[in-house]
Amino acid sequence: MTRFEDPESLAVALRSESYLADHGLSVALYLALTMGRPLLLEGEPGVGKTEVARALARVLDARLIRLQCYEGIDAAQAIYEWDYARQLLYARLLQSGELNAEAAIHRLYDEPFLQERPLLAAIRAGSRAVLLVDELDRADDEFEAFLLEALSDFAVTIPELGTVRSDDGSSPVVILTSNRTRELHDALKRRCFYHWIDFPSEEREAEIVMLHVPEAGERLSRSVASSIARLRGLELVKPPGAAEAIDWAGALSRLGFDEVTEAGAEATLGLAIKNRDDLDVVTARLSEIAR
Amino acid sequence: MIDATEAVGFGRALRSAGLDVEMRRVAAFREATGRVRSDDLYWAGRSTLVSRRDELAVYDRVFATYFRGAPEERRAGLAVPVRRRVTGIGSAAPGSAEPGPRSQVAAASSVEVLRRKSFADCTPAELAAVHRLLARLRLLAPTRRTRRRRIARRGEPDLRRTLRRAFRTGAEPVEVVWRTRRRRPRRIVFLLDVSGSMAAYSRALVLFAHAAVRADRRFEVFAFGTRLTRLTPALDTLRLDAALSRATAAVADWEGGTRIGDSLRAFLDGFGHPGLARGAVVVVCSDGLEVGDPMLVGEQMRRLRRLAHRVVWINPLKASPGYEPLARGMAAALPHVDVFASGHNLDSLAEVARAIESAGLRRARA
Repeated sequence: MTRFEDPESLAVALRSESYLADHGLSVALYLALTMGRPLLLEGEPGVGKTEVARALARVLDARLIRLQCYEGIDAAQAIYEWDYARQLLYARLLQSGELNAEAAIHRLYDEPFLQERPLLAAIRAGSRAVLLVDELDRADDEFEAFLLEALSDFAVTIPELGTVRSDDGSSPVVILTSNRTRELHDALKRRCFYHWIDFPSEEREAEIVMLHVPEAGERLSRSVASSIARLRGLELVKPPGAAEAIDWAGALSRLGFDEVTEAGAEATLGLAIKNRDDLDVVTARLSEIAR
Repeated sequence: MIDATEAVGFGRALRSAGLDVEMRRVAAFREATGRVRSDDLYWAGRSTLVSRRDELAVYDRVFATYFRGAPEERRAGLAVPVRRRVTGIGSAAPGSAEPGPRSQVAAASSVEVLRRKSFADCTPAELAAVHRLLARLRLLAPTRRTRRRRIARRGEPDLRRTLRRAFRTGAEPVEVVWRTRRRRPRRIVFLLDVSGSMAAYSRALVLFAHAAVRADRRFEVFAFGTRLTRLTPALDTLRLDAALSRATAAVADWEGGTRIGDSLRAFLDGFGHPGLARGAVVVVCSDGLEVGDPMLVGEQMRRLRRLAHRVVWINPLKASPGYEPLARGMAAALPHVDVFASGHNLDSLAEVARAIESAGLRRARA
């Protein structure tokens, strides 16, 4: 794994992977990396919580393993599952005497029949992986409890196989994200470092847009960034995030605009504003937004 | 790395300001300061000692005071809750709370009388008795299908169990095991109006909510007057008096005015829209006397209605003879309410509980 001397060099590396981390975030990431603790990221949708993990994986030259949480997610979907259909076929071959029973019986619960899920994959890969546990607040309490267990010792016990951990005893880098629909358990939060990602400043947003949509050019990027900043000031249900800014700039540039004009904004507003009520609010004030 | 005493002292300052900072965090903080430059002290602490967004403001304040020697600002945050005495409720022994003739009345009230007595007319001792009865009131939320599955008589094949059983019959899957989606109760979210006009009822409604939260930890309680306060953490205790005094301390605008529209919007923006109200049963307890714009109430109620499974509105005024929803806020909200009930005494709260339970069955549109 690449080592970084200080938060700044980490930020530079992330930048080369098209991620602009502000200073607070690079410190938090740096500490999580060097102290081997999971990092819990929170922030409005669209500020790039998931993107952090992707960029980090590229920087560390590690594999990104994503565990998307949803209500009712359980061990079979997060850790492992046996391939029952294949096991059954195998067992029937065994039955009909086509295989050497003594040797084969043990293999029924062995690697070929094990379906690895994200958590197990990450634990096995150790430091060669970045594990992204996305939208943890969507999972339920029970799941949080066993995630905590897995994150405490980075080992998973499979009754038929024994305890699984990484070959070299290292643990993966863990990034958790939450949208705060539910308060996470204190025990889990205690294990994690924490960082709240704010919407980027107008200037930084222009930089982000330029980095992701180079064809937009500086003029359009700045114009989009300032329009987005004004949109965020409108008390919308879903204020646009960085992802929306990037899409919007891309669309405008493809249509040949070099700044946000009223006509341009009207034609492409759906890329920045994704709620019906918000659309009504913004459409009525389009001239203020496109300036 | 900063000095251990200094780190511990900072941890203690944060703790007394209301943050959950245990020793392990302080140790992590101290280690972190050794890994970054000294001018990153602020960020080292912020990553290791904070775990919620609403703690950030408190952290900033304590950091400024502790490390930069700034005089502490007196701001209402987590740190300095306004404490007010809760009148009488929670003093368990009836009679001791309020000596004199009224307590005799309290002692004389039988359960039957209490059931039909309006909360507005109850003495503190009676309210304590009401809470004991409320605790027995079972609030069952309507259910919804989850993604978890359980073994069942019919449904979809359960391959794992089918395979296990097939081993008994020579790897021939003779007996197929079925599974089906499990059902779970929906979340119930209470939005309690604690403004002046509701003063006679709001404590009883907090008790009602407390009884509900005790029954199911996924329930959520918010209080609102001029602004919104999340009460759930305050009510997360078994003891009634502790719950009440913590609730009282948490709400800054107890018995002030009512801005229903603004409060609803704060709830929807901060909690409801991100997921808390989605598919839930939302119970609003308010008399609908809005000082703000009733248009906003209607607008926000429409939003709420689209997110929630059912919207129940409890209005104690509904019990008065000849009541008509003339309050402008109430009139604006009513088209978006599924169940409209009074909830001014125990009997009617029991009715509300039944209405909530059956809210999953049919949608009584107003």
